[in-house]
Amino acid sequence: MFFNVKDIEQFQSQKQFIDTAIVPLLSLEFADDRSRQSSSAAEFLMSLTAFIEQQFKGRLLVTPPFSYTPALKDAIRPEAIKDELQSAGFKHIFFMTCDHHWTTIEGERDVIWMPAIPLESMDKAVKQRILEDQLKQVIPTFTSAWTSV
Amino acid sequence: MSNNRVTRRQFLTYTITGVGGFMAAGMLMPMVRFAIDPVLQTKAEGDFVLTGQRVDELTEAPVKVDFSYEQVDAWYKSEVTDAAWVYKNGDEIVALSPVCKHLGCTVNWAGDSAYPDQFYCACHGGRYEKTGVNVPNTPPTGPLDQYEVSEKDGYLMLGKKFANSFA
Ligand code: FES
Repeated sequence: MFFNVKDIEQFQSQKQFIDTAIVPLLSLEFADDRSRQSSSAAEFLMSLTAFIEQQFKGRLLVTPPFSYTPALKDAIRPEAIKDELQSAGFKHIFFMTCDHHWTTIEGERDVIWMPAIPLESMDKAVKQRILEDQLKQVIPTFTSAWTSV
Repeated sequence: MSNNRVTRRQFLTYTITGVGGFMAAGMLMPMVRFAIDPVLQTKAEGDFVLTGQRVDELTEAPVKVDFSYEQVDAWYKSEVTDAAWVYKNGDEIVALSPVCKHLGCTVNWAGDSAYPDQFYCACHGGRYEKTGVNVPNTPPTGPLDQYEVSEKDGYLMLGKKFANSFA
């Protein structure tokens, strides 16, 4: 599910089935020496989370990305986002990011960090295969959360 | 002389046949053109999407075939990648949509090792027979949709979705 009216209406009527939220944490850097790399990582993160949504549409909600520039980084508090999603009925909440910052934070077990792969230089078939490979990396994290209930 | 005169009745008959024939031609011509016009033919074929799957490599075992097409949603154009599970049933090619009829996750062939001859949905444990017919007492309420299939230069083409014909 995505955060749009049609999907949210379905979520509200099927809460017992849609119990997982994926929250992309997206770093934006506009400086000349960083913007290319930053946009490539953004493209990758958005493609990957959209692909996850396509595979697990009926079980999870992919929220719009929480985007921040270096100056705003400290204002993003995953803990707070998690609390709010939990009170909305989500049992499992995962943050996905390509930004190393979140892996250095003590006690952040729900952050899935992925290395940004430059998809822009690939043709469709290769891109699809890369996304499938990356998906395979994260599936165990989901399924172990789902089966531990 | 008077024998050769066209009577009022004959005149009317000729006129009506003539006009009627003209009208019939006017109606038929576009129909014939629809049937044979090459421009319109490619348009009909345009509903099919060419895949990278060779038809002669298909077997009885379902394989996942990816295909992409452009979707226009209001002002927003995007490239959509979709997939189908394709296998041979005798001489017939069967292409099933992988979209689970419960809440829309993507199903996998033999996705659960306990059921190697079924499609499996990891989201809530939905299962389907090889024909796409849903297994009773699992969450899905209907069978997987099918895709129209066609062939071009040895490669598989997929068309519109339709309701499962095995159900
Ligand atoms: S979405 Fe497939 S079983 Fe629920």
